[in-house]
This record gives sequence, structure tokens and C-alpha cells, in this order.
Amino acid sequence: MEQGEASKEMLTLARKFGADTHAVSMEAVQPYAPDAVAALLALVAQDLNASAVLAAGTDRGNDVMARLAARTGLPFAANCVAAEPGEAVSLTRLRWGDSLWEMARLHSARPIITVPPHTFPIEAGPPPAEVDLKPFLAQLDAKDHLVRVSEHMAAAGGGISLTEAKVVVSGGRGVGSKEGFAIIEELAALLGGAVGCSRVVTSAGWRPHTDQVGQTGTKIAPDLYIACGISGATQHMAGCRNAKRILAINSDAEAPIMLNADYAVIGDLKEIVPAISAEIRNRRAS
Amino acid sequence: MNAASAIALGVVLVVAFALFSRRAVLLYRLIRLGKPAKRFDDLPGRVRAEAVVVIGQSKLLQRWLPGLMHAAIFWGFMVLLPTILIAMIGIVDEHATLPWLGEQGWYALMVDVFAFLVLVGVITAFVIRKIQRPPRFVGSHLGEADVILLWIAGIVITLFLWHASRIALGLNEYPAAWAPISGLLARMLGGALTPTVERAAVWAHVLLILSFLVYLPYSKHLHIFLAAVNVFFGRTKSRGRLEPVDFEAPADEVRFGSATVADMSWKQMVDTLSCTECGRCQDVCPAYNTGKELSPKLLIMALRDQVLADGPRALASKAAKLSPLVPDAITDNVVWDCVTCGACVRECPVGIEHIDHIVDLRRNLVMVESRFPEEAGSMLRDIDRASNPWGRAQGDRAQWAHGLDVRVLEPGETPPDVLFWVGCAPSFDERAKKSAISTAKLLKEAGVDFAILGPREACTGDPARRMGDEYTFQKQAKQNVATLNEAKVTKIITTCPHCFNTIGSEYADFGGRYEVVHHTEFLAALIREGRLKTLAGERKITYHDSCYLARHNDVIDEPRELVAASGQAVEMPRNRQRTFCCGAGGARMFMEEKRGRPINEERVREAAGTGADTLAVACPFCTVMLDDGVRETGAKLQVIDLATLLSEAVERRKSQNPGQPKG
Repeated sequence: MEQGEASKEMLTLARKFGADTHAVSMEAVQPYAPDAVAALLALVAQDLNASAVLAAGTDRGNDVMARLAARTGLPFAANCVAAEPGEAVSLTRLRWGDSLWEMARLHSARPIITVPPHTFPIEAGPPPAEVDLKPFLAQLDAKDHLVRVSEHMAAAGGGISLTEAKVVVSGGRGVGSKEGFAIIEELAALLGGAVGCSRVVTSAGWRPHTDQVGQTGTKIAPDLYIACGISGATQHMAGCRNAKRILAINSDAEAPIMLNADYAVIGDLKEIVPAISAEIRNRRAS
Repeated sequence: MNAASAIALGVVLVVAFALFSRRAVLLYRLIRLGKPAKRFDDLPGRVRAEAVVVIGQSKLLQRWLPGLMHAAIFWGFMVLLPTILIAMIGIVDEHATLPWLGEQGWYALMVDVFAFLVLVGVITAFVIRKIQRPPRFVGSHLGEADVILLWIAGIVITLFLWHASRIALGLNEYPAAWAPISGLLARMLGGALTPTVERAAVWAHVLLILSFLVYLPYSKHLHIFLAAVNVFFGRTKSRGRLEPVDFEAPADEVRFGSATVADMSWKQMVDTLSCTECGRCQDVCPAYNTGKELSPKLLIMALRDQVLADGPRALASKAAKLSPLVPDAITDNVVWDCVTCGACVRECPVGIEHIDHIVDLRRNLVMVESRFPEEAGSMLRDIDRASNPWGRAQGDRAQWAHGLDVRVLEPGETPPDVLFWVGCAPSFDERAKKSAISTAKLLKEAGVDFAILGPREACTGDPARRMGDEYTFQKQAKQNVATLNEAKVTKIITTCPHCFNTIGSEYADFGGRYEVVHHTEFLAALIREGRLKTLAGERKITYHDSCYLARHNDVIDEPRELVAASGQAVEMPRNRQRTFCCGAGGARMFMEEKRGRPINEERVREAAGTGADTLAVACPFCTVMLDDGVRETGAKLQVIDLATLLSEAVERRKSQNPGQPKG
């Protein structure tokens, strides 16, 4: 039901139930409104007297199934990797960051089950011709559309996400203030990269927590990580140690980051960062 | 002998005991509803705790005024207990008393003095509650406490009145001179009404006592019965140890922490019912004191309310639907605010073990609900997959020792005299590494035969366990125990109090029994034996006790010996077992401190207030937290591990006496 077509792993699992498998496309509800999809599913399941409802355990899949469960009072088991039909459905589900398997029995005439994404290799199942596409028209309540996607917005900070950026320019305590990040943002923009920061910066309220690189923030793996005024505490390094190259700009030659940096500039970042930006501009102009 | 009085007393007694029993039986069944807890070992230790904490009032007397106040009332009631019987005999026959004891002058004196002390105690309690109004009472049922105090005052005043009227009537069996206070009151009596006063006083006294007895089990004042029970069954040894989850138990018996009251152990039930809402725990809690949601007192009160609300339903039917403790009684924030420093547990006069409750709530949230502060997830995954909480390469574990000529113990090699268990932070954290380097240098200096495990050392699992992820913890514990046993290690030194506590107090549950010493203990012994020669310098040092060292494991003096050997000592107001956490315990090291003020900065300000220039630490987590706090507050302090300070002192001595060979 994700992306308009039932995923093969979902169908493979669903067919184990032996009965007819029916897939409902989320595309049917536009713009995306989880309650509306859940309402539709409840009707379809009732109409077909479905013996189970399955979905991909994506953020959206789990969201809709939780709403379906709440709406119908049916039991919901998320992240299942195996399901055997029977008097009670025998389930195996992933728990605890995938490190534990839970074997459980679900007593219900119509269990709701989601399958974690990227868990099964996609196998060639029976020919997809068996999947019958039937339009199902139902009148939904207006309140089912209350929760819906109203607008798509790019993430603040230039649109490049921290995890995907090839270059991340990060600032730490040494930046000194919220305003001090202007030169960091400027350099990041010139390099087509994202802005990051250390925990101290987030605690001080200079940047949002979404910008934080570290053990308790985002873990990143850019081609180049430019750490400006960051001492390099273990908690921070845990977030950036997968960077291919680290350039440290710091006034303290003894800072721990120096031990992990591939390149280092010892000096005041307030002079060095604008100088790099100016040099990039010069070269691009010529 | 008055038959009517005897019958009346009999009826009153029957009614009182019936009402009392009705409630007492329910409470007993609630406690029996609790899951098993192993608290029947170490009888001598339990008797000792009873003598010191209950009879000796040791925890209460840590605060002199409220301590003396409570001791006066408690000891007073101990002395006055037989007077209950004497008064009942007096009701039936005003000319009779308890054989022997009722006739003793010395006992009359004791009763007089202790009854007076109880009265003084009650007045003091009112002064504390009404005038002093300490913040520890915030959130307690204050009105109920007032009623109870007045009740106690009433019991003692009627006792005095009865004794005085008996002396006035010449009914006293003991010489009147032995009861000076009652004697003084007797002089004010003596009119025609005195016999009536005598009857009224004794009846009022007995009725007040019996109604108090009935009221108690319905009130927050249950500690009168349960404190002694709860203290008796408290932890006597290894206070830093957590009860392991038995994953091998039959599936429906495995207890993944506490989801509802039905999951709590019987000791935890007694805990909640014992609370008198005195707030000593709240007063010392680092989370509460920095403006967070957690108050250990309110936590226990909320659990108690839930036990009393849901417990009877659980008793009525096994299938009863019970409300989840989190979030119905306790919010998620409260559960995650705790640093497991144990200040509340140490302070509690009635033996409540708050950490066990917190950890059980966490176990349920983490292992069943998968619900915990998101940012801590990578720590748990990294411990599981990389064997250290930062996901660093295990191959780099011995990198800190590069160039120090430290032996890395390979499989099959002869074990060293002592194994230096380095720990993750001192292996990987640039700031914490310094303590590992200094310790290694000092061990070499003293000629100690030691080795490290290098890449074979894995996280002990402490942060995972304190987070409630018992599964990851046990995996680490079993792996480490296998490594240590295979290497035939017998003695271990750690620089990290968390490793120290886990290996020393918890690994025995997984078959790992070793002599574990903290580096401060080991180094202090080397100084005492003359194997390390030191010269104290000019540094003014204030030492920060780590919770897992001082409070959970009583290592207090040795670190101070190292301070004395290194510089000039100055103490912070909160020191030794009453230390104040750095904010990193209970896996808080790996969570964001989003609520209230930062704990580490609070502690750094306290340290700076001593005028010291050096903040000595003996824990890698404290090192990182307090160093961050110093940077954040701009305090003029250097945060240095004791091993590094000692290393300086050894070098100083050498440069003073360059000619002397090392001893």
C-alpha cells in the first residue's frame, strides 16, 4: 500500500495466509491523510471480511496501522518478520533495535501486522498478474481529513540535510554566539554543504538540536568535515568519526580534535573562516 | 474492679482491633501480591541495620534538630509502650497496675521524662513545620501530619493528666517523688472533681491510643509499623548492585521491570507503604535540586497511591486491567531524570530503595515499550555492536598506552598480579585518557606487575543496565566474565567507579568473582607501603566524591589520602557519602539534559565556592562532566584526576631529591 503498489515482501508474507490478498493504495487519499487511509482500510477490511491487514512498517505504514487499530480495536503487531496463520497468529517480531526477536501469539480474527522495511531481500514471487486492482469508493468523514499533509517545506538551513551533505561546516563554543554562526553559514553555502554544531552550541540555544553532530545528535559521514572552534569531546567525535576528511580550525593546538583531524589550522576562526570564504569567492570570480 | 468499665473496654478493644485488622489484612495481602525478592540472607547485617537505623535513629540524626525531635518521640514511645497496658488495667480497676513495673519508681521517672520529651518533640515538629518550613515538605500531605502530631500530643497530655490525678488522689503505686512533672501537675488538682478527671483522663488516653492505632494503617503514618520491616529487608551489602533479570526463567515469569503495580516486588510494595513523606530524599536529589520533574518523594507517593488504587483490583482478579505506572502515575520525564546517584536511598530513614523502582520502570519502558530518550539509542547500539558506548574501533582500545610499555595480556599468557581494567572513557576520551596514562605510569614507578586486556576489554554494560536495557548489559557481563575467567584474573584495578561497581558488585551474579579495587585505593596503599614517594605541592584541591565510589561503595578515605599527598585539601559542603552527583550517572552521560539547570554546573559552582584552584576527581565521567561545567561557568578551576595529581607529586619529590634512588 506504500507508493501505490504493494511491496513484494509484503505480498510474499501476506500470501502465507493462503486467503485472497488485497492491497490498498495510499495514493487513493490525496493529500496524504493518515486517518482517511485508516478509515478507508477499516471499510475495505470489513467489506472483504479480511483475515489480516498487512502493511510495510515504514513511518507512514505504522502511522496508518496504529490509527486503524485504535479505530477498530483490532490488535496491532509492528515490525514482524514472520507470521503463521492459525487459531492464534504466531508472530516473530523485531524488538529492541533489531537485537531481539520476540515470538508472540496474537489472538484475533483480524490481526494488523506491519513488516519492517529493508529486512527481506526482494524475491520473485508469483507473477504480479494475480494482483487484482479494484477501485473501492467510499464516502469518508470530513474529520478524517483533519490530519493531512498541508505543505512540503525544505528543512531550515539551506535545504541540504546534515546526513546527506558532502561537506559539513560545524561550529562549537569557539564561535562565541548565535550571530557568530553567520560566517559558518556563509562558508557552508559556498561549499554547498550543511551547517552543524556541537552540544555546547545547542545547550546555549545558538542552534537547534537538529543541527547537533554527536553521540546524542546526528551521526554524519560527509566527504569533508570542517570543525570550527570545536574541542572534539568524545561525545562529538562519535558523530563525525565517519567523515572522510576532517579539517579542524581551532585556537588551541592541544584540543583533542587535533588528534583526529586530517588537516588543522591553528588560529582564530573568526579570521580564518571568512578568509577561506573570500578565497573561494576570488577563485570562482577569476 | 468495675464490671461496666471492663465490658466497655472490651467492646472498644474488639471494635478497634476489627477496624485495624480489616485494613492491616488488606495491606498484608497487597505486600504478598508482590513478586519475589531475595531479602532473607545476611541476618547479622539485617539485625545491625535494625539496631543502627531504627533503634539508633542514625539516618534521622544526620540532621540534628529534626533528628533529635524524632528520636525524642520514637524513644519516648518505646519507653511509654507498657503504659498502654497500665492504663487499660487502670480503667478496669483504679487500684490495680501492672505487677512490678507499675510500682517501680525508676520507671515512673522514665515515663515522666520521656513523656515530656515527646511533648517537646511534638512542639519542635510544629516549629519545624510551621515556622522553619523546609522545602523538603513541598508536595507532602501537611494537614495530615498536623493531625497526627496533635494526636500524639493528646496521648501524652492525657497520660500526664491521668498520672497527676492519681497522685492527687493518692492512687500512685510508686513514690510520688519519682514523678516530678506529674507531681507538679498534681498540686494543681485536688478538688472534688479530681476522681472525675482521673476517669476522664484514662479513658481519653486509651481511646486516643486505640483510635490512633486504627487510623494509622489508613494514613501516611504507616511507617510506625513498616519502617522497622522495610529497614530489616533493605540491602545490607553491595548497595550499588541491581537485581538481575532472569531471562532463563519460564516465559511468563520473566519480569521485564514494572509495567503495573502487579509487577512490583514485595519489597517495593513495603517501600511505597513505608513512606512518611518527610522529603529528605527530595532535599538531596540532584535532579530535583536543579529544577527537573523528578522528586524521589513524589515518585514513591505516586507509586503508593497506585498500589492502593490498583492493588485491591489485582487481588480481586488476576485478569483485572491495571493502569500502566508510566504515564498514569509517573511521567516519562520523571523516570529519565534520575542519575541513580543513590542520595535519596542513603538519606531515607525508612529504608526505601528508590533506584530499584526507577530501574524497574526503565526496564519496562526500554525492553517492552522501546520508549526512551531517543538520543540514548546510539549508545545502546554502540555497546551492543562495538563494545563501547561511542562506537569506536575496539582495535584502538590500547592506543592511549602507546609508548608507555604497558603489557597487553594475550590469550593463554600468564596472568599478571593485577589486571588494569581501563574502561571505555579512559580508553577513548581524550580528557579521561590522562587518568589511565597517569595510573599506568604510577604502577610502573612502584614496580607493580600489571597488564591490560586491550581490544579484549569490552564495556561492562553499566550505562545499558542503568538505562533499563538489561539484555545488553547481561550480554556484556557474560562476555567479560568469560574473558576474565579464561585469563585467570584474580585482582582487578579500575579507574572508573562505574566499572568498579559493576565488576565488583554485579559480575558475581554472572560467575565473575574477583578482588576489585579502585585506583585510588590501590595508589593509597602504594603510598602507605612506601612504594610511591610523594611531595605535596601548592595546589589547593577540593575533591569531588563520585557517587558510585563514595555512596554506593564506601570508598572515601583513600582518595583523600591522595589529595593530602598531592596538595592542600579543602572540602566542599556536600562531601563523602553525601556528595552531589556530576550529572552523568544512570546513563545520563548519554542523554541530553533538557529540563532544569545543568547538574554539572551546579556542582562546579559549589567547588569554586571553596576557593580551590583544582577540582580533583576519581571518575572519568565526572572528569568530562565537571570539565564541561568549568568551561560553561568560566570557573577558575582545573579538573584533574587524582592519579594525575599524584603523578605530579611523585615527580615533585623526585626533582627535590634527584640523587635518591627510587624506593
